[in-house]
Amino acid sequence: MSDMIDLVESPEPDTNLRDEIRQISDRVRRRRQLRSKFMITLCALALSVTAVPLFLLLYQLFDRGLPVILHTGFFTQLPQTPNLITPNATGGVSNAIIGTLVLSLYASIMAIPIGVLVGVYLAESVSKLAASLRVISQTMAGAPSILMGLFAFSFVVRDLNIGFSALAGSFALAVLMLPVIVISTEIAVRGVPHTLREAGLALGAKPHKVSMKIVLPAALTGIVTGIILAISRAIGETAPVLLVIGGGYINSWKPLDPVSALPLSIYENAKSEWPSLRTEVWGIALVLVVFVFVLSLSARIWASRKQQAR
Amino acid sequence: MDQEFMAQVETKVATPSETLERGAAAMQLKNVAVSFHGRTAVRDCTFDVTKNRVTSLIGPSGSGKTTLLRALNRLHDLTPGAKVSGQILLEGTDIYRGDITVTELRTRVGMVFQRPNPFPTMSIYENAVSGLRFNGVKKKSILDEAAETSLKSAALWDSVQGRLKVAASNLSGGEQQRLCIARALAMDPEVLLMDEPTSALDPIATLKIEDLMTELKKRVTVVIVTHNMQQAARISDDCAFLLMGEDRAGELIEFDTTEKIFNNPIDPRTLDYTLGRFG
Repeated sequence: MSDMIDLVESPEPDTNLRDEIRQISDRVRRRRQLRSKFMITLCALALSVTAVPLFLLLYQLFDRGLPVILHTGFFTQLPQTPNLITPNATGGVSNAIIGTLVLSLYASIMAIPIGVLVGVYLAESVSKLAASLRVISQTMAGAPSILMGLFAFSFVVRDLNIGFSALAGSFALAVLMLPVIVISTEIAVRGVPHTLREAGLALGAKPHKVSMKIVLPAALTGIVTGIILAISRAIGETAPVLLVIGGGYINSWKPLDPVSALPLSIYENAKSEWPSLRTEVWGIALVLVVFVFVLSLSARIWASRKQQAR
Repeated sequence: MDQEFMAQVETKVATPSETLERGAAAMQLKNVAVSFHGRTAVRDCTFDVTKNRVTSLIGPSGSGKTTLLRALNRLHDLTPGAKVSGQILLEGTDIYRGDITVTELRTRVGMVFQRPNPFPTMSIYENAVSGLRFNGVKKKSILDEAAETSLKSAALWDSVQGRLKVAASNLSGGEQQRLCIARALAMDPEVLLMDEPTSALDPIATLKIEDLMTELKKRVTVVIVTHNMQQAARISDDCAFLLMGEDRAGELIEFDTTEKIFNNPIDPRTLDYTLGRFG
């Protein structure tokens, strides 16, 4: 249909104008290149300011911590209090390692099912209840962790009369983990394409079936990553467990026994007047860092495998 | 060419199309309109979807084709503010007010979407039988049979037979779309709604799906939305032409056999559109 378009004679090109435009754009380009180099240098500087302390920290951890954890009985013995005759007899931290595992296990059992269900609800519902739950979990995620400790102390230790115990500590950690799981689950579930839900509905599936059989599996990678982040955070917390676990000097998996925890041992040893106990802190810190690192690394590897399998 | 075209239009308008002998209606639309938050998206849709025929919905973007299609299996139910008025009958039962639940309706009226959307966490087999599972079928012999039959009907069985346990996402786009067709067919629906099922596919995959539809209409009634005029002309028996009105709401301009719509329409706008004058 070219006959419908009126072709206009194009005027003679104005070479002066063209040269002028080129000159201006050359000038602007040079200025931008300079500015870009300057900004990249700033970024590199900021990166090194961030990275240097991190590497120093890791270096110090390994430098001082490795000799401690290689020391016989560090992983297997209970702690000992040094005395004037054997000032270096610190024993091990088996109780704290077991305590940390116990606490995160029970806390996960409490927090994961509730957190995932609430997260799915928040993502799928538009009710007022969902909106207020969202505000509550966002506020809780930012609350100081010592509050969870105080809450667990007054509620579990005192009101329920359960006493200083692994249960009380894992309750505090569960409350701490809950908002992290809720928020990450909601994000993961929202990320599932709407077309998948529609495909399920169009096959005659009821909405709850769509949530459980289609949306949840599709969001699983994100949900599990969130859960592991929550656990990693809980493992490193001192404040919430400080007031409630009782710092037990025994190896116990029972929920009602007082237990210890790695961060708590760091806190207690660091206060000690014995130099040998203070040195031990580095070993405990190293174990804690390796724990968290392995957890988050395995989460990442698992998630990327899962993505590739798609 | 223009004069020739105008002359054509005038003669067409002068000859109104006569009513055709039709088979029984699988679905009947009576004055169907869909609105969102009080704003009408499509209205005045009255036509019959005849059994074992392919009915195409054509029209430019914004004419409400997809909106109308989605009303046929109540997919607007979950959209806040959506309202469907008029009557849509499936075998004489009003699907919005009659004695039929939304889940039952959707098992009888299946749907294939614009982009292939197999369930990514499920295998080919699990995708094919997912509808049956959602509706409580657990017996393995039934599921196996349904998987095989539906994959065969979707012309996919031969290429996936040996790898049924593989994730559906390993299939090509065209194969994924045929898996979605198989998934819908496994429910043995009476009507299959297809929303631009080939718009995300290459020409060869498109051709395969078009061939499939001609085969499928022997056992299922097909309603298809398409932007592709040639596709509508090639595969459909009946055709509804929709157009956006002055208030930006889509409306039905003309419904007839595809042959009439493309060669001998009553409304000049229909001819303009099928000849590619606009849209």
